[in-house]
Amino acid sequence: MNAIEIRNLRRVFKTTIGIIRRKTKEVIAVDDISFSVPQGSLFGLLGPNGAGKTTTVKMLTTLLIPTAGSARVLGYDVVRRADAIRGRIGFIFGGERGLYWRLSGINNLRYFASLYHVDPEVSDKRIPYLLDLVGLEDRGQERVEGYSRGMKQRLHIARTLLHDPEVLFLDEPTMGLDPVGARELRQVIRNLQAEKKTILLTTHYMFEADALCERIAVIDRGRIVAMDTPEGLKHLVSDLSVIEIEVFGLPEDTLAKLRQLPFIDTINVEDHDQRQLLLAHSPSGSEAVPELLAAMDGVRVGKVVVREPTLEDAYVRLVGES
Amino acid sequence: MRTWRVMKYLRAIQSAALMTFRQNVFDMFIIFGVLIQPLIIATLALWMIGDRVGETIVFIVVGSGMTGLWTNLLFESGNSITQERWTGTLEMLAATPTPMPVIVFGKNLANVSQSLGSMFVCYSFVSWVFGYQVTIEHPLLFIVSLGMTVIAFVCFGLIIAPIFLLNPSVQRWQNALEYPVYILCGFLFPIALLPGWTTPFSYILPPYWAARALHDASSGGTNTSEIVFSIAMLVVCSLISLIISRTLFRIMLRKVRQDATLGLQ
Repeated sequence: MNAIEIRNLRRVFKTTIGIIRRKTKEVIAVDDISFSVPQGSLFGLLGPNGAGKTTTVKMLTTLLIPTAGSARVLGYDVVRRADAIRGRIGFIFGGERGLYWRLSGINNLRYFASLYHVDPEVSDKRIPYLLDLVGLEDRGQERVEGYSRGMKQRLHIARTLLHDPEVLFLDEPTMGLDPVGARELRQVIRNLQAEKKTILLTTHYMFEADALCERIAVIDRGRIVAMDTPEGLKHLVSDLSVIEIEVFGLPEDTLAKLRQLPFIDTINVEDHDQRQLLLAHSPSGSEAVPELLAAMDGVRVGKVVVREPTLEDAYVRLVGES
Repeated sequence: MRTWRVMKYLRAIQSAALMTFRQNVFDMFIIFGVLIQPLIIATLALWMIGDRVGETIVFIVVGSGMTGLWTNLLFESGNSITQERWTGTLEMLAATPTPMPVIVFGKNLANVSQSLGSMFVCYSFVSWVFGYQVTIEHPLLFIVSLGMTVIAFVCFGLIIAPIFLLNPSVQRWQNALEYPVYILCGFLFPIALLPGWTTPFSYILPPYWAARALHDASSGGTNTSEIVFSIAMLVVCSLISLIISRTLFRIMLRKVRQDATLGLQ
């Protein structure tokens, strides 16, 4: 059985511009997407900022009404049977908002436990367990306003697990966490996966999606551009090698010249302070390096690495193409 | 099944009230509205009436206390949903299985109950500072009136909160709504002194019936049947408020989910 089922889902936002001559502008956030997530599996939604990931999650968590199409969670329609869904799902939206800053962490959890109808005897045991799970066992009595961004994010995780939900929507859950905290959270997600919870995860971090997700949908400008297992997505770029060249000051005209080379599929530049990292996808692999360097005549070059493509490379290709 | 649901909602109301109490302890605006402003009004009234205070002392105590109740209801209960939206907690609340009116009921209960402090502060002030003897003629009816006032104010707050969220332009008039209700509801002087055309407006406002019940129960100026009638009107007002608020909440929740304004920053 599918825990989440989406059919031709669409969401349009209307905004008005101007004061005297007001014009209504329509923005298509989610454009005719369909997918399903089997019960007990972990599904990833990958995409750049503004791709429609959060909008999709908000529709599934009953917080937004779709413009068209249908979405069902645990067999219930998210619009007509929102009340039947709410007690059985949990969600996290990245960021610090959504907590009562003047209250302690424990009081925040107690409040939400009662709103989720968790029995007091159960919540009395579960709250210390969850605080321990997210590493806040010593800080639970303190007011949330004194928490760091990462601590607030961890408190959100504890909040979402209070009522032991069957389906979890994790919208960029590791955003704002330090590397150790993010690693611990990934372990928490793995444990939830082992408990056969259904999880929908959105993330910017490719390695996170690669390590956790059983299936991934890549979403860009509201549309799903690819959907497969991480291995399947990587296979999309298996014919290519990635050439990484460290450069120091790359003129625009040189970059344009490199893009015209026949053996180059895609080329991207990442800025790292004083240097840039040129990422070229090519079917020729290491054989392309001499010609590539020759085309960069006059540019100071550092390290050159040729490697196998990763999920990130597949993502860059998909999002770049769409 | 029904009993189980009622128990769950009662616990949610208790939690929402407790949470609101804990938050309000640090709120200077509430401290001013509940403790300071009623004292200023009581002092002004005492000076204006001067030597003629006599039997009107109860009127001043109850009326000044009522100003604290109304101010707190208007600002705190009125803003109860809007504030949640600004802090990003409205999305969290809307996604819980507890209906939003139940949560707002708990929040209003805390706001209105703590506003009763206004009444106590005014009573202590005129007794200890000004040395006036304040007696309540019908203590039992006064307690019943006070309890029903709390319920009526909580229910009335359930109408104000979604209206303020649906119509931000109404909220901009929040300050302007404070004094007309003091006057229309006869907090500080009887509405008989006002022009006749204002009377229907007084009758549709629950604070009017609350002020009337409390004034009459404390001063003993009328027979008990009139006090009972005012209490009955508070019950009617509460029921009407609940029915209207149910529709308003349904419209509001649908609209914010349609317009994507639940998590507006």
